[in-house]
Amino acid sequence: MSATLAERADAIATEFADLDPRERLELLLEFAEKLAPLPPQYAAERDAGHNRVHECQTPVFLWVDLEDGRVHVHADVAPEAPTVKGFVSLLADIVSGATAAEVVAFQPNLVERFGLAQSLGMVRMRGLQAIAHHIRRKVADAAAK
Amino acid sequence: MAKPYAHPEVLVSTEWVDEHKHDPNVRVVESDEDVLLYQVGHVPGAVKVDWHTDLQDESVREYIDKDRFAELCASKGIANDTTVVFYGDKNNWWACYAMWVFKLYGHADCRIMNGGRKRWELDNRSWSRDPEPQYARTNYVAKDADLSIRAFRDEVLKHQRAGKPLVDVRSPGEYTGELLHMADYPQEGALRGGHIPGAVNIPWARAANDDGTFKSAKDLDKLYSGEAGLKRRSSVIAYCRIGERSSHTWFVLQYLLGYPKVKNYDGSWTEWGNTVGVPIEKGPGKPAEVAETVRSGA
Repeated sequence: MSATLAERADAIATEFADLDPRERLELLLEFAEKLAPLPPQYAAERDAGHNRVHECQTPVFLWVDLEDGRVHVHADVAPEAPTVKGFVSLLADIVSGATAAEVVAFQPNLVERFGLAQSLGMVRMRGLQAIAHHIRRKVADAAAK
Repeated sequence: MAKPYAHPEVLVSTEWVDEHKHDPNVRVVESDEDVLLYQVGHVPGAVKVDWHTDLQDESVREYIDKDRFAELCASKGIANDTTVVFYGDKNNWWACYAMWVFKLYGHADCRIMNGGRKRWELDNRSWSRDPEPQYARTNYVAKDADLSIRAFRDEVLKHQRAGKPLVDVRSPGEYTGELLHMADYPQEGALRGGHIPGAVNIPWARAANDDGTFKSAKDLDKLYSGEAGLKRRSSVIAYCRIGERSSHTWFVLQYLLGYPKVKNYDGSWTEWGNTVGVPIEKGPGKPAEVAETVRSGA
């Protein structure tokens, strides 16, 4: 992937911006459906309850790896929470392959940029923002090691 | 014979809904916590009402007004005499919330599909991924808000001072003041933790079985009149954080147990715990034995 994180975010934001509120939900659902299954090596940690995003209302498990200076996100979200799953998938798309510095510098005001506020409402937006902050924090921690 | 519910007609089975889902006099309404679940699969013929984007006003902390409620119903093909059946995720939590709003504006025939999405799935009934069906518009006329089911802050304060019954349906940790919100739920902040003095703690999801259906009348009675010590004839106010979990308890008390005077305090802890000068109690208060997380499935 050659595009920068900001370019990928802009491309997705543009895609959302061209849609009406109902279609935005459809697109978010497409993201939910394409979230890669959790690699088996993480299953045991998840089952033990580790790596959970506690700010989030449904069980969301996130791993952030740095490999050769590039960020990789792996996640597991319950199927009964497609909104959260879609958002995690979207974030994973944006940050995967980026450098840690790019992720940490990235201001994830995504929900506003994607015009999802109207489709989701304020309360849900806060939970989703928390996931974006969680990823940044994890990347910052991994980079500091 | 098992003790019957006080108003058994308000609960319908998944089988009943399967048989009536295309009945023109019936409108099935899905209302979920997760805004995408309907798109993932819904009861064929059902329409979607979102608790947040459809039922709440965005610029005032308030429900949609009477006119917008009438417009919502008209646009979903719901007439004043339509039987509206609600169902959803998480033990029908949001289904009860939606039903409460429909009752607020006086819709006559509201029912809950017992067990919600979970029971429908367990029964292997079919899901539709079709776009939301469009039904012919109606000329819906909404009634003025029925405040006999809604409590406001000043009234709650009077109620509390008079020592009348209050049910706090949040988790024990939120009730005692250890937690400002449930770890698994969205953060809806309050500056103080604890509960309204005198409130008894019965976490809402204790009214539900593992499959999302409601517990039997006998078990519910044990919980609310036994453990919580409520009297059927007294005025009861239920609250949680924003009035969502407590609409589930409102449904149980009013319809399944037949309490005639139950109000939902939708300002709930996010109002009370942030309000200057109102009293708060911390600590265990009256006991609650089972943690909410055990059954909430949230």
